[in-house]
Order: sequence, then structure tokens, then C-alpha cells
Amino acid sequence: MTIEVVLLIGAIGLILLGLAGLFIHNNVFRMVLALVLLESGVNLLVILSGFYRSGVAPIFLTGSEAGQAMTDPIPQALVLTAIVIGVGVQALALALILRIKAYYNTLDMAEIRQQMEYDLAADTGVTSPASAQSPDTLVRSKTIYSDENKHEHMQGDKKIGEPANG
Amino acid sequence: MRNVSGLLFSGGLAFLLLVMVAQLPFGQPLMLVGQQILQVSPNEVGTANVVAAVLLAYRGIDTLGELAILFTAASGVGLILGHLYSANSGSNKKVDKSGFITLKGTELMVPLLLVVGFYIIFYGHVTPGGGFQGGVILAIAFFLPTLVRSDAHLDHQLINVIEGLAGAVFILIGLWAMLYHHAFLQPFFNSVFVKGHLGDLFSAGTLPLLYLALGLKVGAELAGLLSMIADFPELTGEQNK
Amino acid sequence: MDKLVLLVVLPLLAAFLMPVLARTSQVLARLSGLSVLLISIVLVLSVWGDVDKQAVSFAIGGYQPPLGIVFYIDQLSLLFALLIPVMVLLFWPWNRLCHIREYSLLMLLTASASGLVLSGDLFNIYVFYELLAVASYGLVAVQVKQGQHPSVALAASLRYLLLGSVGSVMMLLGIAIIYLQTGTLNLAHLSLLAPDALNNSIGLSAFALILIGLGVKAELFPVNSWVPEVYGAVSTRLSALMAGLLSKLAVIVIVRLLVLLFPQPEALHLMTILGMLGVISGELVAWRAKDMTRMLAFSSIGQLGLVFIAFSLPGNIGLLAGFAIALHHLVVKPALFMLAEGWSGSLEKLSGVAKSSPYSAALFVLLAMSLLGIPPLPGFWAKLLLVTNLAAQVEPIYSIALVFILLATVLEATYLYRVVLLLYKKDTSSKPSFVRSHTRFDWLTAMGLACVLLISVVQLPAVEKKLVAMAYQSGNRFLYIHTVFVRADSNIPVHAQQELTPKMPPIPAIGSDS
Repeated sequence: MTIEVVLLIGAIGLILLGLAGLFIHNNVFRMVLALVLLESGVNLLVILSGFYRSGVAPIFLTGSEAGQAMTDPIPQALVLTAIVIGVGVQALALALILRIKAYYNTLDMAEIRQQMEYDLAADTGVTSPASAQSPDTLVRSKTIYSDENKHEHMQGDKKIGEPANG
Repeated sequence: MRNVSGLLFSGGLAFLLLVMVAQLPFGQPLMLVGQQILQVSPNEVGTANVVAAVLLAYRGIDTLGELAILFTAASGVGLILGHLYSANSGSNKKVDKSGFITLKGTELMVPLLLVVGFYIIFYGHVTPGGGFQGGVILAIAFFLPTLVRSDAHLDHQLINVIEGLAGAVFILIGLWAMLYHHAFLQPFFNSVFVKGHLGDLFSAGTLPLLYLALGLKVGAELAGLLSMIADFPELTGEQNK
Repeated sequence: MDKLVLLVVLPLLAAFLMPVLARTSQVLARLSGLSVLLISIVLVLSVWGDVDKQAVSFAIGGYQPPLGIVFYIDQLSLLFALLIPVMVLLFWPWNRLCHIREYSLLMLLTASASGLVLSGDLFNIYVFYELLAVASYGLVAVQVKQGQHPSVALAASLRYLLLGSVGSVMMLLGIAIIYLQTGTLNLAHLSLLAPDALNNSIGLSAFALILIGLGVKAELFPVNSWVPEVYGAVSTRLSALMAGLLSKLAVIVIVRLLVLLFPQPEALHLMTILGMLGVISGELVAWRAKDMTRMLAFSSIGQLGLVFIAFSLPGNIGLLAGFAIALHHLVVKPALFMLAEGWSGSLEKLSGVAKSSPYSAALFVLLAMSLLGIPPLPGFWAKLLLVTNLAAQVEPIYSIALVFILLATVLEATYLYRVVLLLYKKDTSSKPSFVRSHTRFDWLTAMGLACVLLISVVQLPAVEKKLVAMAYQSGNRFLYIHTVFVRADSNIPVHAQQELTPKMPPIPAIGSDS
């Protein structure tokens, strides 16, 4: 069992856990965590693609002997980029979750989806585009802000036109 | 139903990957381009850290794109959280009174973090490290006091200016290279930015400048990002629901 | 020619500096965005004729391929490089006062879109694709439809983000597999190595993974569940931009990869199957839709399914049909979205509207006819090209696709005709409900796009000639390899290059001059 086989199985295991977690979990926050796992697994796999048995890091240190085989620098640069991209997306997802929790007061994906469909249908004035057997009135879970406050809240936040804002 | 199909898909993908991994040359990579880069880069670019050469010289525009992604994410978070960088944001947040150890520990840690962060940024092209790694450490250095002390606020206006200007400086260095009849974002050498010897701090021409701009931008941006998320009223306001 | 890198760099610079500029003057910051778009248009027009005979490539950073990253310019890239700033300018949010960061996001969208069509490196494409995705997640979350609740946009953005991130991770996996198999990331170098290295099941699985990633933006089945939610929740300007422009960009990238890296027929068959499923699912749900935006969203899925089927035809004729349908959709769908802006809400509310806004109704009829494919409008020629070439294929999968397409066209005709009937309904006994009439600018945009349509009817031979030239140039793998690895000023004409024997051009020696 060489080291790279262990790492490879670990990477694929992470991918499996992440992907399965995304499908299984209903809680939005757990879905984001599963996404983090998935991205870690793929990043690990990409780094492993540059792994060279008995290779050293691709840095020219003074005093290192010449002719030493170095691992591939390109996947390392790729993974650096991929990690940062992942961080950006995760931060965005967290911000969205915070706001959604404030509005819908739930972190359950099924409920959020139901609410969203309801809102989409209500705002266009059609009955919900669900099947003919669905109940006419969808239960709307309690939200922190009432409708009027919600609009005001968003308006107040925007502070449009103030030159002091960035 | 969704669970079953999802599990099937993940299982299938994992199986596919296992089969492929058995066939692909792990442990003995082809390294077509990597080998060439390892051979050429000490002369062409002059950094001891070849990954830095790949990141900033050969694939500089990828790094620029990655910078932009971080900026986009920070803008998106700012817009979504409605925080919008107002000057007195977070002033009404309640922070539990921190203990003596936390306060003094933070006071000791912040200068150390700054030094380590800047070291990793400045020596990023010589030793393992670089703009992103050092920038993250700087971000923690900026953000930590706001977590611990209730009277320390992150000045979002300053953060905005730093992140915008640092990103612009990155691009302007690249355009400066373009003006001197080089290509965009090519690290070039002149009397001030010498090529130097491999392993010196002052080597590889204008390349360390790129890392510096990168590090400052990432540091400011991540600090602002963390601060915006931490200051969200839901998280700081009601302690007991 | 290498000043075309400014198409990517200047919008990025504008995006970074906008929040800083806004501290002194908001107006200046907004103007900077618009001026960058105008500069981009001028830049592209200044080199417009230079790639008619040969393609050009230049290295970013001066490092020759395959070590560095190249940008590849041919007629296809240049056309889209022109369309991107034009469409962003057209769908700039003039009608509302947005926060300065939203304009920043739009600039980032422009930069990444330009980079996506110009780039010649696989990982660079991934980075620009991610930038495009993150910018669109941000824009979707904040640009809410008028009268819509802001939380809907947030929920739609979150679902879009989760789906898009899974796709991107799959794409990264595919890229890793390709890198492992070949050792390089440069598209031309990969194209050289592809017939040996990627012409097997590993290559096919890499293609499938990358297809999942790019398919999220390209509204491919089955990763298109975000489309009705997002288009229903965001402002119609943004939907028009996304449906018109962004989906086509993803398709163009897929086409480039198909042509250069994956010449095997299984890849084409995969696209055909997914396209068929997209067509039928899109049109079926559109048939049942009860409001205009939903109908247009699903119709967009259906049309993109058509585009996929077209691109899956082997040879240059597939490229020609695909370009025709894609460009036609790029003009028609945003115009329809602009009309839908004023006509949002249940379709029932539209009954008899033709009396109060006859021009809008006439415009709708014109656009619907072109979408359906009624002569002499360009939609007819595009669909005819697709259908005749599908019929000319020998493999049975294409005949099944043909049946699906004809069925889908019937469905399309049904629901579009239903709307037209409603518009022109004579006897409205009930009081006509108030329908917001279109703002001047929305109407003008729709009119402008319809004019483009009409002009192309008149100039049909010229348009066809340009599309044929574009298809020949893009489908020519050897031209690509030759352009990137030989010096940029090779002046071998396009037609002769097709007869070139597939000699591998030499990889430049180590330490070559920059």
C-alpha cells in the first residue's frame, strides 16, 4: 500500500462523501459543507496528479543537489487557484444562507424550495404551477419580518445615492 | 427518489474514478510541460520557487482571474448581506466580554501574525508561500481584534480602498510591462528590479511586486468578508432565541 | 493584435476601481463602466477584418505555448468578442439606480465572458468560467424583478450556486483527468495529442465531466433545473443577458473542445441524446406554462437543445447549423424577454392587449414567427439547415432526433399561437386588466433586435457567407494547431489548410525567444 494509493483512495472517498452528502442532506448548511468536502477531494486528486515518487518540492534551494527529480509544479498552481475559487463560492453561499434564514426562517431545502415556488407563483398572479393534485393553499411559514417591513428593510439597507458609500 | 438517484450517481462516479485511477499514470506523471518549465524557469523567470513562476509568470492571467473571483465574491457578499460598507456598521454588535487571556493573547498575536504574513508574502518567490497564503494570515491579523474586543471595528471604507487599489496595481504592473514593449503581465527586469540570483529576496524582476499587491488585496478582502459575515445581526444580536 | 488582451483587462480594471472612484463621484464611476464597454467595441472593430483569411494567436506574458497561455483569435472569437460588450451595453440596467458594486459585477461578467471566448488554454477557460459563474450568482441574488420579493432571488441564487458548483467541480475533475492523460493544458498541444491520448473511454469520461460543468450555463439537460427559477426571479434585463449571451458562450466553449480535443463519434452522440431530452422537456413544460417568463425560460431550454443537436452533427455542416440557430436565438430571445418585461403576470391578463399596444403585439408576432421557423425569417433558414442535414444522416440516432424536433416544433407553434390569439382577442367583455405598457427603452431594445432580424432577411446571402466561413475556420483543427505553434503571421489561406496533411508542427525548442 504505497502512500499514493492511500491518498488516492482518500481523495475519491472525499469526493464520494461530498457528492452523496449533497444529495442526501436537506439542510442547506450541510449541503454547503458537503460541497466543501467535494472540493477538497477534487483538489487532493489534482495535486496527486503531479506526485512523483521520490521527488522533492519544485523549489531550487541553495545547497540542494542538482538532478534531483522534482514534482510537477503545474498542478500545485492549479490547485492554489481552485482553492481560492472554492473559498469565494463558499463565502457567497454562506451569505445567501444567512439572508435566507432571516427571511424564510428555515434552513430546510425542501421548505425553501416550496416557499420560492409559492412566491414565484404568487408574484406573477398565477396559481402555483405544481401538479393538479397539490393543495390550493400552501402553508407559508412564519417569517421574521412582515411583508412591509421586508421592503423597508431592503430599501434602508441599500442607501442608494449616498456618495460616502463604497 | 432524489436520494436514490443521487447516491447512484455518486457511487457510479466513485467507481468510474477508481477504474480510471488504476489506468492513469499516478506516481509517474507525464510532465510534458512541467518538465520544460522546471528546466527553463530559472533562466527565464529567475525565481527559486517554481510554483511562483508558474503562478505569476507563465499563468499570470489565471492568477488575475482568481483575484477577480475573490473580489466578485466579496462584492456579492456585501450586496447580499446589505451591509454595504457603511461607516458605522457593526457598532451595535454585542461582544461577550473577553477574558484576560484572550485579550492579552490577541495583543501578542497580532504583531506576530503581521510579521509572519508579510514574511510569507515577501519571500513567496523564494520559499514556499506567496501572496494568497500570506494574505490569509494578514486577514486574520486584521480580523482577530474585532472578534475579541467590542470597541475594535474594521474600517470598511479603508478595506474597500485597499482592495480596489491593490487589484488595480496588479493590473497596472501588467500594463506597465506592456508599455515597455513586453507582453501583458510579463515580469521584466531593469536596473531597479534586477534579475538577481536564484534564491535572493530581490530577484525575478517585477515578480515580487505582483505578490505584494496580491497579498495586500487578499488580506484586506478576506478580513472584510469575515467581518461582514460576523457582523450580520442574526449572528451577533439575539443570543437566546 | 495582442492589444486584444485589453478586452479582458480593462473591464477588470474598471471593476476594481469602481468602488474606489465612487467615493469621490458616483457618476464618474458609472461612466467608467460604460466607457470601457465602448472602448472594447472600438477595439474589436479595429481588428475586424484581420482574421478573415487566417487566425491569429498571441501569447500572454510572452511565454510561448505550451508553457504559457495563448489567446486565439478567429472569426468566431471576434464575433463573440464584439457581441459581448454590445449586449452588455444593450442590457445595462438603465432603468434603476443600482449600487455601484452591481455595475462592478457587470464589468466582471464582461471581462470573464471575453476571456472565455478568446482563451486557448483549458485551465484558463475554467478560471474565466468560474468568474462568470460567481459574477452571475451575485447578480442573480440582487437584481430582483420589479414587484418581486427579494427573498425569491436569494433562494434561486442559492440553488443556482449549488448546482453550478457541483458542475464546476466535475469540470475540474475532467480537466485533471485530461492533464493526467496528456501532461499539458494548452488546447493546441492537446489537440495534437488527442488522437492518441484522448480517443478512448478515458477521454470520453473526461468529456462527459466537462460537459456537466459547462452544461450548467448552457442549460443542458439535466443540469438546467435552475433556469425557470432564476429567470422568474430576476429582472428581465438580466434574464435576457443570461439567456441570450451567457448560454451561447458555454456552448461555444463546448464546441471548441469538441472540435479540438474530442473527435470521437461517441461524444457527438452524447450531445445528441442530451439535446433531444432538452428539446422535448423544454417544449413540453413551456406548453403548460401559464405566464410569459416561464414560457420563455422553457422555450430557451428547448432552443438550446436544438443548438446541441445541431452541433452534434459531424463535420462543418453541424457547426454551420449550430451557429445559425445559436445566433438567431441570441437575437430573438432577449427581444422576447424585453417584451415580457411589460407583460409579466398571467397570460390571461394579456387578452386583448393588441388594441392598446399594437406595435408591441406586432413585434411579438414577428419574433414568434422567427422563433418557430416561418419563411422568410432567418429562423426558418436555420431550422431548415438543421432538419435537412439531420435527415441526410445515416445513423438512426439522428432520425430519432429529427422526430423529436418536429414534435417540439408543433408544441412550440401551439403555445406561441395561443399567446398571439390572446393578444388579438376581439371580444373582451370583461374590463381589460391593466397591463403595464412597455417602457420606451424596453420597446426600443426589442425593436432594435427585431431590426437586426429583418436586416438579416434582406442580407441573407452575406450572412450565410459569413457563417460558412466561420464554420470552416472553427472546424479546422489543423489551422488551430498551426496558428498557435507556428508564428502568428502565417498567411496560408483557409481553404488550402484543409488539404494540409496532418504533419505535426514541431514543438518550439526549450529556451526559445519570447
